[in-house]
This record gives sequence, C-alpha cells and structure tokens, in this order.
Amino acid sequence: MDEIESKLRQTAKQLLSEGKVDLLIGYRQGSLPSKTTPCFITQEQEAAELVWNSFCTNNLAVYLPGLFRLDPRSKKREQKKVGIVVKGCDCRSLVGHLKEGQVPRENLVIIGLPCQGMIDEKKIVAKLEGKEIIKAEEQNGQILVVDEKGQEIRLAKEDFLRDCCLVCQHPVPPLYDILIEGKTARQAVSDEYTEVKELEERSIDQRWEFFQRQMSKCIRCYACRNACPLCYCPECFAEQSQPRWVGTTDDPSDIMAFHLGRIFHTAGRCVDCGACEAACPMGVELRKLTRKLIKDVGELFGYEAGVSAEEPPPLATYKLDDDDEFIK
Amino acid sequence: MTNPYQPHLAKITRIIDENKARDLKTFELAFCDSQQAERFSFVCGQFAQVSVLGAGEAPFGIASSPTDQGFLQFTVKRYPTGTVTTALHNCQEGDLIGVRGPYGNGYPMQLLEGSNVMIVGGGFAFTTLKSLTNYILHPDNRGRFGELTVLSAARDPGEMIYKYVLKKWSERDDIRLILTIDKEAEGWKEKVGFAAPVLKQIDPSSKNAVAVVCGPAIMIKTCVAVLLELGFAADRILTSLEMRMKCGIGMCGRCNIGDKYVCRDGPVFTYQQLQEMPKEY
Amino acid sequence: MTEKILTKDKQKEFLSRLIKVYQVFAPVEKEGNLLFSQINTPEELAEEYRNTKLPPKELFFPHSEALFRFRKGQVIEESPNEAERVIFGMRPCDAKSLTLLDMVFNTEGFKDPYFIARREKTTVISIACAQPQITCFCTSFGGSPVSEEGSDILLFDLGENYLVKSITPKGQQLIDSLGGLLTDAQKSDLKKRDELIKTALAEMKSEIPTEGLKEKLEGMFDSPIWEKIHLKCLGCGICTYLCPTCHCFDIVDEAVDSEGKRVRNWDSCMYPQFTIQASGLNPRLSNKERLRQRMMHKFNYSVSNYGQTFCVGCGRCIRNCPVNLDIREIVKLISGKQEAGRSFQ
Repeated sequence: MDEIESKLRQTAKQLLSEGKVDLLIGYRQGSLPSKTTPCFITQEQEAAELVWNSFCTNNLAVYLPGLFRLDPRSKKREQKKVGIVVKGCDCRSLVGHLKEGQVPRENLVIIGLPCQGMIDEKKIVAKLEGKEIIKAEEQNGQILVVDEKGQEIRLAKEDFLRDCCLVCQHPVPPLYDILIEGKTARQAVSDEYTEVKELEERSIDQRWEFFQRQMSKCIRCYACRNACPLCYCPECFAEQSQPRWVGTTDDPSDIMAFHLGRIFHTAGRCVDCGACEAACPMGVELRKLTRKLIKDVGELFGYEAGVSAEEPPPLATYKLDDDDEFIK
Repeated sequence: MTNPYQPHLAKITRIIDENKARDLKTFELAFCDSQQAERFSFVCGQFAQVSVLGAGEAPFGIASSPTDQGFLQFTVKRYPTGTVTTALHNCQEGDLIGVRGPYGNGYPMQLLEGSNVMIVGGGFAFTTLKSLTNYILHPDNRGRFGELTVLSAARDPGEMIYKYVLKKWSERDDIRLILTIDKEAEGWKEKVGFAAPVLKQIDPSSKNAVAVVCGPAIMIKTCVAVLLELGFAADRILTSLEMRMKCGIGMCGRCNIGDKYVCRDGPVFTYQQLQEMPKEY
Repeated sequence: MTEKILTKDKQKEFLSRLIKVYQVFAPVEKEGNLLFSQINTPEELAEEYRNTKLPPKELFFPHSEALFRFRKGQVIEESPNEAERVIFGMRPCDAKSLTLLDMVFNTEGFKDPYFIARREKTTVISIACAQPQITCFCTSFGGSPVSEEGSDILLFDLGENYLVKSITPKGQQLIDSLGGLLTDAQKSDLKKRDELIKTALAEMKSEIPTEGLKEKLEGMFDSPIWEKIHLKCLGCGICTYLCPTCHCFDIVDEAVDSEGKRVRNWDSCMYPQFTIQASGLNPRLSNKERLRQRMMHKFNYSVSNYGQTFCVGCGRCIRNCPVNLDIREIVKLISGKQEAGRSFQ
C-alpha cells in the first residue's frame, strides 16, 4: 500500500478514536475503476477504506457549508468536529469558506495532502476510443489501464492530468492542521493563462460565438453550481421566483444568463479547482470563463483567492490608490 | 383530444377582502364562454388551477358550492414569495384570468350523505368547507344529510373569513355554528380558545357522524386527536392536503406523498389513509 | 412479423430513403457529445457507439416547450403539429423507457396532447446491444440488450448485415415501404442473430438484486439508510436529466407585459425548490428527503401506480454522477445485499 495512504488511514483512525473529530470526509474507491468517491466516516474501523491516489479529483470542501448551515427544522447549527482531507485547491476553497464565515475554523481538523496532480478520467476515456475501462491504477508515475478486451495500456500520467492541475500554483495546501508528508507535491508552475490569452485575442464576435457554442451544450442540470464549493447560497438566484432573475427554460439567453451570473459571482473567489468542469456531463468549457476572471482579478487587484486566510477579499477592500479604471 | 393544460378565460366579477390584514381575498369569477361554465361541473373539495397570464398558475380549492349558479369562487392568501398569489391580488374586478379543472377527488358524498356532519375549519383553510356547508344547506340537498355542526376557528376576529356567510348560517336553525378565536378580544361574544379544546367542549356525537377538518397542520393534528377520543372512526375523519402542484393531473411528479398524488388521488383523504401514508407533508 | 436483411452497403440508401419521407433522428456526434439529432444525410450518423449521452425522452418531452401562447389576455393554442418521424439507432433500454413514459402521459383520465402526438408520429428503429457497458444493468429490471419492448423495428448487427425485425404494424409498414431494399433473412442469418443474443446476454456484467425491492422499500421510509446515502449527493440534476424515465416538469409563464407563453420545463426532484409552497413550506427540506423520493419514486411508487419500475438500467446516472453515487449500490443497500466490509457512504 502506498505510504501516504497508510499514513492517512492512521491519522484518520487516530482522530476518530481520540474523539478529535466526529466525522471525517475523505475518499474511498468508487464503484467504477477510474473513480474514487467521497466518503463520510464516523467509525475508526472505516478509516481503512480511505484511499489516496491520482483519482481523488472531487473537491471535498463543497460539503462543508452544508454541514454547518442552520438546520431548517431545529434552527440549530451543527456543532460537529469535522476532519477533512484536502489537496491544495480544496484547501483554498476552504479558506474561502473561512473568510466568508461559512465554516467555523475551530470545528475543523484540516488534513492536508501535498498533491501530485489528479487524473482527468475524461482524457483516459477519450484515449480508449469507446472501450470500457476495467482497471485503472497508478504505478510509478504511469497509469496502468486495462480495457474491456483485457488489453493493458500504460499511460504517462503527465499527459492525462486535469487541465487545472497542469497550471496549479499551489499543490500544497496553504492551511492545515496535519500535513501528511511522504511524497513531494507536483512542482508548482507559473500560470501563463495561455488559453485565456488566446481567447482574449479573438474578436468580440468570435468570442461570443465561442461562448454561445459552449452554452449550447448546457442542459441546466446545475451540476457546475452544485459541485462548486463557493456556490453555497441556500437559494440560487437562478431558481428564485420572487423576483425571477433568470428564466428557467433552455433558451440560449436563459442559459447564458445563468452561467454568466453564477460565474461572475465567483470572481475573486474561484480557486480553479476544476470541479465545475469535471462535474459537467456535457463538456461545457466553463474554466475558459472562470480563468479569465481569475486572471483579471489578479491583474486588477493583485489578489489570488484562497491563499491566505487573513488577506481581505477584493470585494471587501477599499484602496486609496485603486485606479478605478473600470468605472471611467 | 382535449388539452388539459389549456386554461379557460374567466372574468373577475367581484373581489371581497376577507380579513383585516388584507392578504386574503375572495375572487368571484364567471367563465367568458357560457358552454365552459356548464362543462365545469365539480364536487365540493375539488380544486382548480387558477392562472394570471404572464405570472403563472397555482392550485386553489373551490370555495363556491356546486349549487351556486353562474359563478365560481376562490379565496387566495397572498404570500410575498408567491408569484401567482401576488399577481392575483393585484387583479381588479373586470380582469380576465384563466381557470382549468376541476381536479382532485373532492369530499366523498357517498360517505357524507345520510350522516351527521361535523365540520372544523381553521384560518383560511375554510374555503372548501364553505363550499361543502353551502352545498349541504341547499334546499335540494339538506334532506340527504343529518345534523350539521360547523366550527370555524381564527387567530382573532379580524382573521375570521366569510363573515357575511357565517352571519347567514347563524340565522338558520338547521346548522349549529360555533366560532372561536385564539385569545379574548374586545367585542368578541363567541368562544375563545383553540379549535381542539372548543371541539371537545362541543362534544359532537360520533354516532353516524363524519368529521371534516381543514386548517394548519397543528390544528388538524390536535382536532383529529379529539375526534378519535370522541369515538370517530379513522375512516370517518376527512381532511384535505396541500402540496406544491404544477400539472394538477398526476403527471408532473411533485405533489406525491408516498405513492399517492395529492392532485389526482386527493386532496381529500381520510385519517385512516393518512396513517398509511409516509409523513411527508 | 417479418425478418429481413439489410446489407451494410445499403445502409446509406436505407437512411436516405427514410430521410426523404420522414424527419430522421439518430445518434450524432455534436460538440463532443453523442446526441439524438435530426440528420439530413446518412453520413451524419455516428459510426460506432454504445449509447447516447442524453436519453431519447427529449424528442417526445422536450426540455422546454410552449404549451400555449397568450397576448392581451387571450389564449392562443399551440397545437402539437409534428411531422412523421423515425428515430434510428435507439438502444433497447431507451426504447423500453418510452413505454414507461406512455403510462405517465397517456392515462385513462388525462392525455398529454404534446407527448402523445409525438409518440404517434414516431417510428422507433432500435439496434440490439452486442456489447453492453460495465454500467449496463437492464436485465436486472426485466429488460435485455436485445429486447423488443418499445421498438417498432429492431436491428441486429450481424457484421456485414443487419437483421431487421419488425415488431409492430407501424414498423412493418415502414419495412414494406422500402420494397426491394431489404431481402429475406436466411436460416444462417437467424443463427447468427441467435449467437449475438447469446453473446450479448453473456456480456451483461452488472446484475443487482431486485427481488422484493418494492416490498422492502414500503417499510423503509424512515430507514436510517437515507441518512447515509445522501451525504455525498450534490443535489444536482444530472441523474434526473440523463434518466430516460424521469419526467418531472415545471410549468411557468415566460412573458413581457402580459404577452408570452406558458412553458413546460424539465424539473428535478433533486432541486430544493421542487416542492416549496408559496408559503415557504417545503416538505422535502434536504437532499435526504429528495434522494429518498427519487429512489422511492423509481422503485416503489411507480410500481404501485403503473406496475413498473421506472429504471431501465441504462447506467447514464452511474457514468455521469460527479460524486460516483451509484444507483446500483443504493439498490444493493436497500436489498440488504451490500458487499461485506464496505460501508456505504
């Protein structure tokens, strides 16, 4: 067994047995070979089910605001101690929750894991050209895949990483109570926003055409929103009926209004964890939009979301030397 | 094939403010198409989808009685979060609105006929109970029912709806009418107290009797307890349920409680049926 | 009903002739997704595929459709006026789903004119599955990779030929209209077909315990399993929107200054607003109640109301769930046949 995985299990077991956490959120093997699945464990013997591998893509921070929300029946807030397994990006989402007062720090035990980059299952599926994945596991920096014909295929992990991992600048969680060490994190790279720049260079018409084409795939299942750790509003503007901000049809203008409204709401907050795009069943390239905002927020306000728990967010900051260029 | 989604236009002929808070109005409607008026035949306890074109539609119990000729009534409470209720309250006399229905099972007349009837209504849930009471009191029908007792409960005198109807009922001798409010109020000469204890005071005989209870969940719960204590059988206690509905015809999939669709199998259920249903209402 | 042979070199001609007479819908690769889409040339049909990303329900029950229009207080009827259509290349699980949707939209008491008009004008040509996916479990719910249920014509891919079997008079009529394009099937073809059926059934890898499922669920409304199952659910609409049998809808008005339309939109029991009342009261407050409703609706309530489980085992919800909440595992848990030593969370 992987050294990190065994350390993680030990840590989880100890936290549960010592009563330091009532609930621990981590990953376990999913029902399909190339998937892990989030798990919520409360018993120390369940710690043995935890896994840590290159398929731990879900951002588990998404569950935190809901766990600490006022219960609509009892009108009480959960006082549970929650342990959570986080990668760099998950942790940055969590930092956002702390800043926005959604999650009480004292109720959390953050178990940080240096991230080596996660696999994009969709890239493997594309590589297999329709053949089913029967087995998928990491072996010495390679992904060993067995297809339904029993054929073994070895893939270089680097070629099948998620796009967000390829530009990740914070593979190590910036905040943790326990850091599971053992493997060094993937080298942080400087994000050049290549694909954003490429879009910026296109004409307005071309960009509009691009976004329309992307949105034409959307079926309004709201998976992007629900998978996003920052979309924790109990009632989303897209579903409000009094007043109704956005129509609920599949008309392109309604769909566009939903996405633009939602994505702008994440400006200065989005950490590029890629959860929205990973959740989308239709392959809408949402990160093209979110990353443009990350780039803009960086350039305009010198701010990077989720890196520091202390630094105030740009929307809550007033700077005398702000050039207010957007309003001129 | 008739299109069940198509509303029929009806003109608002009268709007009655029902309470002091002015968030309860009764809308009296007449179908624009006289043939539709004839086609729209309903039994007490059924509901219809009422729509304001542009705002949407929502289900409301029919407050008028099948014996009322030439008009339909719906009593609507306005909620700040309710799109249709707000739009309806903004309507004026003379405006056109849409109606489709009637839907649901209605009160089981076979069970009620030949029985003494104990009606208990709380707040604005009295709508279909008004329909039922007026139906029973109609000269054509009165002989087919036994003794009729009606208990209407409201928070305070200002929230007691259908005062103009209650007054007429109180002048008759073939109905026993009891009114109650939660707390003492100036000038109030009727009963004071919640529906359940007042019901206990009234002590209706369960012999050959059927009870119909509509109101807030807590009121239904406490009144049903009293009725059971008084010996009413669970299958002779009726109530009407509310759930969010869209189609009204058992297709849109949202108003179910267990395997029963409130729009199609209800909204009227016996207490016995309710006991067999999951507690999700 | 007849069994004919369509040689693959005549497949294009076959489709071309259908396109001349019907609106033809078939699996098409669109922006990276395989979707049922109208084709105007045979070449548009995707070459090899397991199944489409979205089920065919939207061809009968679109995501959004106007029920009628209104202007200045008058209602203007929107008559469901559809052309004669053929859907080519459906899978048997999806074809079966249409028969389930019929039970919802075409009832004794009420008829949904929009759905029914489209159903009546559509001929369904399905292709039996030779290679089920690892997420396919149609056989667990009485289906089969080679089932005829819901299809008007069923094709078997025999390699160089298709064996074409008409299932309904509608299908027979279509086959008859093609005249000499199809030839009579020979004994050897039927033998090949039988081989295919055998292989396809043997290839079904996923089987879940479904015996007595409804009866078990009847006593499980307050079961603690719901407390656990929902924890990882994100509450999105993927499972419902990608499900061929989920049919819940919303009705809203889209209008500017009292001119507009009443629209029916897909809705999902997984959405928080699904059951919220004007008063703000919501009987299904959390994911727990919503997921329970979804499972109960499919495996219990539908059996009461229609005598059918509303799951055809297509596996779309499994493949596409962002948190790998696998409906098969839920069914196993309900049945008490969960793998030992593995807690469900």
